[in-house]
Amino acid sequence: MFKRSDDSLIAKALNGDQRAWQQLVNRHQSALFYFGLRLLGSKEDANDLLQDVLMVLCRNLGQYRGDSSFKSWLFGIANYRAMDLLRKRKYSDNDDALAELADDTPDLAQQLASSQTQQQVRKQLLRLPAEQRLVMELKFYQQFTFDEIASQLAVSSNTVKSRFYAALDKLRLQLEDDHVEQSANF
Amino acid sequence: MSNNQQIFELWLEGKISAEHCAQQLQDDPVWYGRLQNALAINADAKLPAFTAIPPFDSSALFASQWQRPKPQRSWWPQVSLALSCAAMLISLSPAQLRLQDGSLTLSWHNAKAEVDAAVSTALTAYQQQQQQWLAQQLELQQQNTSSQLVLLKDYLQDELKHDQRSDMLQLVEYLNQQRQADWQYWQENYQPMQAGYRPADSYYLTPTQSGVVKP
Repeated sequence: MFKRSDDSLIAKALNGDQRAWQQLVNRHQSALFYFGLRLLGSKEDANDLLQDVLMVLCRNLGQYRGDSSFKSWLFGIANYRAMDLLRKRKYSDNDDALAELADDTPDLAQQLASSQTQQQVRKQLLRLPAEQRLVMELKFYQQFTFDEIASQLAVSSNTVKSRFYAALDKLRLQLEDDHVEQSANF
Repeated sequence: MSNNQQIFELWLEGKISAEHCAQQLQDDPVWYGRLQNALAINADAKLPAFTAIPPFDSSALFASQWQRPKPQRSWWPQVSLALSCAAMLISLSPAQLRLQDGSLTLSWHNAKAEVDAAVSTALTAYQQQQQQWLAQQLELQQQNTSSQLVLLKDYLQDELKHDQRSDMLQLVEYLNQQRQADWQYWQENYQPMQAGYRPADSYYLTPTQSGVVKP
């Protein structure tokens, strides 16, 4: 079936077409929700973020000019709101959140996603500083380019890259520490 | 930007495979470690997510922001106007509703209009024919008039010449008469007197012997 572009859905929504709005929300809400879930670590916070972003989106839909892709523009809003939430709630190393994340998955999914390495990766990602975690999320999970991430975060492309490589190095160190700990436990 | 960073970013952009990238970076433990971590995160990113998304009704949010109340519109005035127009159209058009032998027939035939049209066509044709005939007659009459004028001109010219000639002849005749009368007067009154004064040896002969012919 013919899929309408985001731009045409926005144009229709701005004329009061509720179906177009619903289509636009359905198209992007799962990406936003999982973005929040990975970044904030809890289902409730992810849901709060999703609702918050949709409210901001609804209010500012008329301000989208089409200079970048709609997804990039939308994640620009989501990044700002997520960082705001992270700053307010002082997220840090949150093992409970990871546990909650794992508990929500069904058995089959758990089987698929519960390899030790993946568990470790998610755990280590949550231990990264918020800005680095955000860059990793946008690069690997949302598949944005460095330039797009830079535009969304209103920083230079080099800053994004330095955060990205710093995050990778930190992950390496954390994983090495984990290996040492596990070896010591044995 | 180091060469290894370039290789790593080429892999990130999907321009080279992970195996090729790993092969290129295996001598550099820092970059190789970064690649391994990136591969692990990439694999996690490709796993499907199963957590149910909590339902959120954004319709009310949208309605309050972007939907305007629909104007209350009554269709009766439009229906009334449409029916009035239809009635006028039917009354003005040649449509005829005919009830015949229990059947209702709607026809668009109009005999009067057809007759009017035929009469109008015939009249137009007759008018054109008459105009054509009149034009021909006028042309013919003009030709006749011009030929008659030519004849009249010739006749008048001939008459003029004839009159001029007769006038000249009359003049000549008159002049001759005058001369003759003068001659006769001279002969009767002056010749004898002249003869009395002429010497005998005059070379002038008598008028009777002069050989002059009386005009």
